This record gives sequence, structure tokens and C-alpha cells, in this order.
Amino acid sequence: MNALEQLGRTILLCRDYSSDTVSDAQICQRFQSVRVLCAADKLNLSSRSGQTCLTTMVALLSRMGMQVSLAIPETSMIQQQLPFVGPLLRSSLLASSNRFIAGATVQQDDSRHKPDLIFVLGDSGIEDSSSPTWRLSGQEWCGRITQETTHAPSWASDWPIGAMVSAALAAGEAFKYVMRCLPLRNHEDHIFFEPSVASNWDFGSIGIREGELDLGEVDIVSAGAITQATLYALLRVPALRMRGRVFDDDVTAATNLNRNMLSVVSDVGSKKALLVASRCSPNFKFTPMHQRFSIEESRVQELAPYVLVGVDDIPSRWQVQRCASGVLIVSGTSHFSISSSCHVPGAPCSGCQHPVDDLGGPTAIPTISFISFWAGLAMAVRFIRHAVGAPYLVGRQHLWLTPLRMDQPHAALWSPVVPIPNCPVGCLSSRRIST
Amino acid sequence: MESVVERKFAVEIIYNGITKKVEVDGEEQVAAVLQKAIAEFHITQNSHLLSLYRQDGSLVPENESVERAGIKPREVLLLRPNAVKGGNGLLKLASGVLQETFRMLRVCGRGECECAVYWMGPSDSDLVNGVDHPLHQRSAFGYEVNDRWLTDLWNRLASSRRSIKAQVHTHPGEAFHSATDDTWPIVAQEGFISIVIPDFATGQVSLKNTWIGRLREDGRWHRLGSPEQAICRV
Repeated sequence: MNALEQLGRTILLCRDYSSDTVSDAQICQRFQSVRVLCAADKLNLSSRSGQTCLTTMVALLSRMGMQVSLAIPETSMIQQQLPFVGPLLRSSLLASSNRFIAGATVQQDDSRHKPDLIFVLGDSGIEDSSSPTWRLSGQEWCGRITQETTHAPSWASDWPIGAMVSAALAAGEAFKYVMRCLPLRNHEDHIFFEPSVASNWDFGSIGIREGELDLGEVDIVSAGAITQATLYALLRVPALRMRGRVFDDDVTAATNLNRNMLSVVSDVGSKKALLVASRCSPNFKFTPMHQRFSIEESRVQELAPYVLVGVDDIPSRWQVQRCASGVLIVSGTSHFSISSSCHVPGAPCSGCQHPVDDLGGPTAIPTISFISFWAGLAMAVRFIRHAVGAPYLVGRQHLWLTPLRMDQPHAALWSPVVPIPNCPVGCLSSRRIST
Repeated sequence: MESVVERKFAVEIIYNGITKKVEVDGEEQVAAVLQKAIAEFHITQNSHLLSLYRQDGSLVPENESVERAGIKPREVLLLRPNAVKGGNGLLKLASGVLQETFRMLRVCGRGECECAVYWMGPSDSDLVNGVDHPLHQRSAFGYEVNDRWLTDLWNRLASSRRSIKAQVHTHPGEAFHSATDDTWPIVAQEGFISIVIPDFATGQVSLKNTWIGRLREDGRWHRLGSPEQAICRV
């Protein structure tokens, strides 16, 4: 197992724009040669959000094969940060060296190598910022990164969503740095990979009551990249509980490591449903179902009030939608963009959103850590909002987000889902317009 | 004073988060605007899968003019993949077509021979409103369409502005696409639909247990997961 194989899907995504004169090995090497310094002081690592921001950033960078160095003090883990394990934060991050992608190291900063990029948490001090530097800050539901030298607040919140947003924004900048180092097929495509001086994303603030947050029963269809990112995010929410089933008949492949946030190198070959259920335990009680979801299954046991669908296969989404009687949340990726939508009974369904199968066949899908992560994070946010009775309004039923130039006004588009007359699910909403 | 409606104006098109202005003409087809946008963003891969979407989530119909599609000056449109295009749209099956298909296959095949029919419809739509039964040789193991009948068919189609939407044939037992079926579809165009009905079509009048595939750009057949992926009823 080597990085070239593990980063196969990431390399495939780069192929959208990289020149044909560059070999896969060269693209892989370009990712592996990037040195990123992550810096934070004790104050910024003394909150759940600060620790979540750092661990998520390290995970996303490592899954791109990059070399991470840490300029952080040792501190206790405030909560588990799976798949990082251990009671101490720095030690567990250092122990993740080579665990996500072969050759992707996490080391303590020794100032011998000049970093290509620097990411600093909140208002942490930094000795040398001669390389391009971004500060990561945020609040409960929003995250921000900036190269400006203006004051960034320290991380203090318990709520982790904004922290993961800023980590994902930072990972996007690291990716664009690699793309800027590669020859592109078309010079004008550089516009997609220009660095953002400052960018932010806000999922929209809602109030959450203190105490245990029980999301109830949930069925998860697919234990792949999207739902692993969703569960990765939900595992970081304080006192969150849920239970249900995880359906997936697949086993972890080396090519999944570039994006499956709960998986590590030693998981290759293991059943995804089992892996996810065991990694989420004891916080979430999932029954692993090592099988594809089928209509027959829903006859044996009705689907849960919440269903999370991360499966790529569009007919499978229709099948789940036909069986669902509650809230269905679907997220997916398409090259550099994500699509995330929510479907409640009576509203336009996932068949209206994804009406016909993509006939590409079972070919390798181009993916990368931070894009899949955005898709999963968006799903996690929708799930929480529904569970606490604050779902997005109809005008935000669908989110199309391209997290490359988050500094641009149209990086994201919220929209309703439009019912279509030929909905393959034949949902109520589509039947209404047909008549 | 007369109000003047500008025929030429700019719209904003978003792709991968980047916005570019594209000049359009009110009488121009949306399909042409789409091509301009694809060229503006230098998209070379899978560009045929892209469509324009409004901010309200609706698809901008490509077969309309800019004016008829209601596109306004400075309107923001999203250029993104459209799975519908990958599927080349759904065939709209008129009432009675399926019953007529099974009737022809059963009468000709008599439960012991393979048989084929073609689903027909207007060239400019996805509607299927007719079934043609070719002159063919038949056996339990295959069928061969008469060359002369085929020539006549092409002439008829040209003069009537109709086309073959799908080929439907029977197999003795299980429904599958044989190597011969793969190699010799009556229409070798991307998106063409082939349906194989098991048991000489002696079973239920339904597409439930059939093999349904769509011809891909590379000449290979993609088996569809369900009839709904290719066909809807009207």
C-alpha cells in the first residue's frame, strides 16, 4: 500500500485541471512535498472548539498526503477526537503520523524546515510568519480564515461546528497551493486556485439548550466518505446521543483513505458498517448492517425518523426515499462542489433533486478530503437543526457549495428543490404538479 | 414614450464559485448560451453534462430562447452538472404501448421463439406512441430482421419525422443482453435504450423483471437499475 494508490482519487480530481504532461507520481509527490505548520497556544487549545479546529485541520491536511508540523504545547484532550486517540492532544496528533496516508507525517516543529504554509489558531502568537499565513477563528456555527493581521479572537466555545468550518477553509487553501505549483492545462484556470486573503462560512446560528442532545433514531445509508464526515462532526458535539443502523456492504479500500474521516491505514479491508459502528461507540449506538439497503429490509423494519444518505448511487437514493417516512438528508460531491439537501414528507423529494441516474457507470470518482468533509459537515448541520426543531427554510432546501474560492460572493448557492413531473420516486409534491 | 426592451444584455454565470459575465441575445437559444458559458470557463471534460440553473433551483430549458426562458439582464445563473443529461431524458411511454408490445411479442413468439419490436415516436421529443413489429426470421435462440424491411423503415421514418426510441426483444428464459445484442443495436447512438423481456414475454405485462440498458458514448451498454431510470408513463 503506498501513497500513490491511497491518493488515487485526489490525483484524479487534480486531473480536472492539471496538464497532461504531469504524471500521477508527480502530482502525488507535489502533495507529499508540502510542509504545513499548524500553530496554537495553550489558551486557544483550552476549548473543545480550538482542539476540534486543530485536529480536523491536521486530519484534512494529512489525508491530502501533506507533511504537518506542530508548534503547540502539550495539553490534555478535553474530549475524544477520533480517530486521534490518547489522553494528550499533541501526543495523539504526533501518533497519527502515517496513519491516514503513507508518508504523511505529523511532527513537532523544529524550525529546521521552512514551512510552505502556516495556519495559526485564533490569536496565538507565532515567531516566524515569512511564509503565507492564515489565522483561523470562528464562533459556534461560523468559521473564518484570514491573512490579514487584524486581531482574530481566541477559540473559546464548546460548540464545534465553526471550528470545523475554519479547518475545512484552511485545508482548501493548502490544496490550492498545490494546484498553483502544478502546470495547468489552461492558464486561465488559475483563477479557481488563487489564494483567499480572507474567507468565511456561516451555517446560520441557532440556539441549542444546554445538556444532553438526543437526536433519537437514525438510519445511515452508506458508511463511506460523506457519512463518516458527518459522524466525525457529530462525535465532536458535546453530549450528543443517537442510535440506529448503518447500512453498507463495502469494505474499506486504500483509495478511501484520502477522505474517510473515521478510517486509518490499518482499517483497509475491514467492513465499513462495522468500522463506523465500532468507532462511534459508545457515544452513538449503531447496529452495523453489512449489506446494501433494500426495500425488503424496510419491510422487515421501518426506516427511522431520520435517514442520512451518503451513497453515490442515485437509484439507491430513490429507493431509500420511497421507503422513508420521515426526514431524509442527502449529501454528495461532484468534483469540486458539494450538494446537500433535506427532504421532509410532502416537500419535493431527493428524486426531484437527482432525477435520473448518472450513467457514468462504476468508474473511479474524483474526490478529496476537504470537499467530502464539507458535504458531511453540511449534512451534520442539517441533522442537528432538524432534531432541535430549527430546520432551514424552504429557500435553503438545497445547498450547492464549491469550497475553492470561498472569498467569492457566489461560492455557495442556497435554493429550494423544485418538484418535477417525472420524479422517479413519484413523490406527493411531483404528483401535485402533474395533476 | 415607448419602452425599449434590450435584446442584448449580460447575465452572470457561476462555475466553481467564480462568476463571469456572458453576453446574450434575447432570441438566442439557451443551448447557445450554455455553450458560451462552457467556452468562457474552458471546460473540456464532461461538458455535455452541464446545465444552467436559476437561483430558485430550477433548470433553464435549453430548447427555449433566452427571452422565452425568461432570462433577465444581470440574472445570476449557476453552471453545474445535470444528471438528467447523463440519462438523455426519460422516454415518455404513451398509454397502451406496453400492452401492445407484449401482445405483439406473444402472438409472434408463441412462447417458443424470440421476437422483437421497436418503440417509435416523434423525432423531436421523448414520446413513445407507437410500436413497430419488424419482418424477421425467428427461432428459440434469436431473431434476424429483414434487410429490405429495414430499408423501408428508414425511408418511412425520414418522411414521417419519427424515430426509433428503443428496441424491445424477448429471450427464452432469463433477461440479459447477449454479445449479439451488445454489438448489433438497431440504433447505435449514445443514449439508445434496449429492453430484453424474459420468458418470451409470457409473464406479467410489466417491465419489472426486464433487462434495461442504455448505450453509452464509448459504445458499451450501461445496465439501468430500474425501468424508472429510462421510462415514465404519460
